[in-house]
This record gives sequence, structure tokens and C-alpha cells, in this order.
Amino acid sequence: MTRVKTMKVLLIEDDLIEVMKLKRSISKLDMDVTLVEAKNGEEALDLLKDSQSLPDLIFLDLNMPKINGIEFLKILKSDDVLRYLPTVILTTSSNRKDVLECYKVGVAGYILKPLKYDEYLDKIQKTLLYWSVNELIKI
Amino acid sequence: MTKLSVEILERALKRERAARKQAERILEQKARELYTLTQELQFSNKELEHMVWEKTSELKGVFENIIDAFVVMDLSGKVLKMNDAAIDLLGYTIANEPINLIDIVHPDEKQGIIDAFKLLYVNGSVANYQVKVITKEGKTRLVDINASIIYDEKDKPVAAQGIVRDITEFKCLENQKEILLKKLEKSNDELQEYAHVVSHDLKSPLRSIYALVDWIKEDNEGQFNEETLHNFSLIDITLEKMEQLISDVLDYSSVTSENVSAAEVDLNIVFKDIYQILYLPDHIKLSCIKNLPSIKGNRSRLQQLFQNLISNAIRYCDKEEGLIDLDYKDQGEFYQFSIQDNGIGIAPEHHEKIFKIFQSLHQNKESTGVGLSIVKKIVESYQGEIWLESALGEGTTFYFTLKKEL
Repeated sequence: MTRVKTMKVLLIEDDLIEVMKLKRSISKLDMDVTLVEAKNGEEALDLLKDSQSLPDLIFLDLNMPKINGIEFLKILKSDDVLRYLPTVILTTSSNRKDVLECYKVGVAGYILKPLKYDEYLDKIQKTLLYWSVNELIKI
Repeated sequence: MTKLSVEILERALKRERAARKQAERILEQKARELYTLTQELQFSNKELEHMVWEKTSELKGVFENIIDAFVVMDLSGKVLKMNDAAIDLLGYTIANEPINLIDIVHPDEKQGIIDAFKLLYVNGSVANYQVKVITKEGKTRLVDINASIIYDEKDKPVAAQGIVRDITEFKCLENQKEILLKKLEKSNDELQEYAHVVSHDLKSPLRSIYALVDWIKEDNEGQFNEETLHNFSLIDITLEKMEQLISDVLDYSSVTSENVSAAEVDLNIVFKDIYQILYLPDHIKLSCIKNLPSIKGNRSRLQQLFQNLISNAIRYCDKEEGLIDLDYKDQGEFYQFSIQDNGIGIAPEHHEKIFKIFQSLHQNKESTGVGLSIVKKIVESYQGEIWLESALGEGTTFYFTLKKEL
């Protein structure tokens, strides 16, 4: 198996344990993934201001305080640079309205967080592996 | 004078007399005819006069008794005649003060009424023209006008008549109804949204607990005794049940009549899908007695309805050979379905209770007590009914009706 390249992932999530879950999942993978964390949309937008260190992939939670996930997504998609960043929704909401809205605004994926941790691990692994074999944009 | 000339003269005279007599006779005849004709004319004139009087009084009656306000005006809008209803509505009596329709129209709609008048003149009539007028008391009323031009015998427009209906209250009620409907729709949406948010907020901590328990097990592998490990697995089961319960409650709250879309759903396909989705143990035989009909509705709701009932029948089977039969009858406007099993049966005192939310009769890992209440809600959204026949130890038959077309 060819060694996968380094990937930088931005996780936007306000729940401490959710952040821990993703960290732990990544540490179990034989992949070179750097995780950057933002507790909410504002913090993420601050991080994204630095065009020199943009992430390759964004994991976005929908239910966040202040700017919610969809609002954040809209801001991202109306930005000339940030609109090209693949954004994958990571949420518990299977609300059809949310799913439709997300795909309409433009997401690279919509992943439902399962109850069981090993199922979660499986989903995260598959997603990261999938993106690691994609052509990622270097702006 | 000779005898001959006398004779000639007498003859001539005689002829003349005869001619005059004849003329007199003719004249007399003509006079008589004329007299009769005059008599006849006089009679029919009287009749006509009577008819005119009758019509006038009829019209007067209509004019005075018509419930709607009735107004006759000249072509400039000056009111010539009003009935009592018009006087009541507008507050003016033209005997005391001449009014012009254009003057009593609300200032904002002056141009509109002038245009409407032009239209009336050109087309000969105007229907359902709505305009605000100001009564003598200064109150604004919304009225609906149906007007037409009155022509003289040479087809020349001479005046206009109009029926004026006060629709202020009606419009007000109509607006209120619209506002209420919008509010209802909004609060329904909000409730739906609320259910989703609550379900998310309740599920998040469950997921966290699940992950934390998993990490504790992982980080301390080999250090826990059998009992502790068993307790850990009980935590997992409890969390799973809690999660299922939240999903079910969300499902239950999502079943509203709005979800009934009007697509044709072939229930044979629905049945086939359920057959594939459900885990059917080898000793249970699920069969469909005859080809199922198609029904207009929401596919996923109909699937949920059949699936919940069938999975209940599977869950509560205690026989060596389980039988579940699906059948239906055409009842005209409705279809009546039946799902029969030979399972444990339900005691009569529980027949009502089982349809209420959170009323599970059994402490069962998979049972949250929401399934049958969802079933009932779906059946009701198709204007149907659900009931059952059951004998303990022998089995249960659920019956329900669904309206073919909503």
C-alpha cells in the first residue's frame, strides 16, 4: 500500500467529547493527518483568514452556537478562495431539510454521527481515506 | 226644355243619388270600423298602461327591498337614486344633500374609481370592483360594486346603476383566516424544527457517553472482571434503547397529514421492500394472501405502517411455526387491510392501551412503546381506523382501513 500523503483537516465542533472522538480516531489511522480545531464558526473564519495555511478538508458540525453550520457554509461558499475547500458535514441531524439545504449550498459529503463509537470510527476512517486519494487543491 | 233632356237630367240625378248613397254607406261602414278600432286601441292602451304600472311598481319593490345597496347615478357619478340599504350603508340621503360617488371614495383610490368609470362607460358593465368609501360618519368601508350602464331607446348611455355590497367585515375575516393559517403553518414548522433540535440535543450526550465507556474499556483492557464487563454492556444496551426511543419520538412527531403526498404507491412493492428489510427467522412464514392494491399517498409512511405491524407480529411470535398473513378487502372508498398472526395474543383490557404512546406491554430491548402509536397516527392521516381481534395464546389480527384517495 502506498503511503498516503499528509492531510490537514479543520474540525469545526463545539462539543469537547466530539473533538476527542475525532482526535482518537485519527490517532488510530496509519495516516498523516494534522487536525486543526475550531470551537465555532467565528473561530474557524479567523483561522481561515491565513491563506498560507488553509486546510485540505473541513469537517463541519451543523448545530453550533452563534453562526450555525449552514450559515457558516454559506459564508464559505460566497468567498472567492474558501469556496474551493471540500467541506464534509458531520452531524446528528438527519433532518431532510438540512440535508437538502447543505447539498444545495454545496457540500462534499454529509455524514451522520452514529451512536456506537466503532461505527463512528469506521465512517471517519473511510472518509479520510477517500479524501486522501483525491486531488486536493493547493491555493 | 225638351222631354228628352228632362229624362237625361233625371237619369243623371238618379245615378248621382245612388252614388251618394253608396258613398254614405261606405263612410258609415268606415266610421264604424274606426270606432271599433278606437275602442280596441283604447282597451289595449289601458292594458299597456296597467302593465307599465305593474312593472314600475315591481321595480320599485325590487329597488326598495333589495338587501344590497342599490344606486342609480348619472354618467358623472352624481347619485340620482338610492335605496334604503344604500342610505344605511353610506349615511347620506340625496334628498338633503346631493352626492357624487367619486367624492365619497377614499382619497387613495380616486384615480382608480375614475378609471373604473371609464371602463364602465366603454364596456357597459363592471363586475366585482372593490373600493374603499368614506361614509357620512367618516368611517371607511370596503365595498364591492357591480355596475352597468342604462341606455335610452336610441342606445345612448344615459345613466349607470350599481349594486354596492359592504365587504369590510368579510374581508377582515378573510384576512384573519389567512393570518391564522400562516401562523398555524409556521408553528407546525417550528414544532417540527423543535423536534429535530431536541432529538439532536438529546442524542449528543448519549453518543458521548458511549464513546467514553468505549475508551475506558479500551484503555483498561484485561483489567476488568466479568461482572464489570457485563455492566458495561448493559450501559451500551441502555444507550441504544434510549437512542431508539428518541428516534421513534421524532418519527411520531413527524407524522402529520401534510406528509401525505399524492403519489401512486404500489403496496406490492412496499411489501417486497419490507420483506427484504425485516429480519425474518426461519420458523416464521410471512405471506400475502393476494395481490395488493395501489394507493395514493406517501410511500415511506405506508411502509412504516405495514413494517411496524409486521415486525410486531414477528417479535411476539411464540409458536414453533409462526404464520403472518396479510390480506385486504375493497370497501369502495376505503381498503380494509388485515395482518393476522398466530403469536402470543393481546388481552382484551389492553386493546385500547397499546395504541397510546409509550405503552409497551413487554420489557423488550427493541420495544419503545411508540411503534403502534405511529401506526395509529398514520392510519388516521388516511382518514382510516384501526382495531384488533385477539385471543391470548392463539394470535392477533390487526384490521385497519385506508382511504383510497384523499
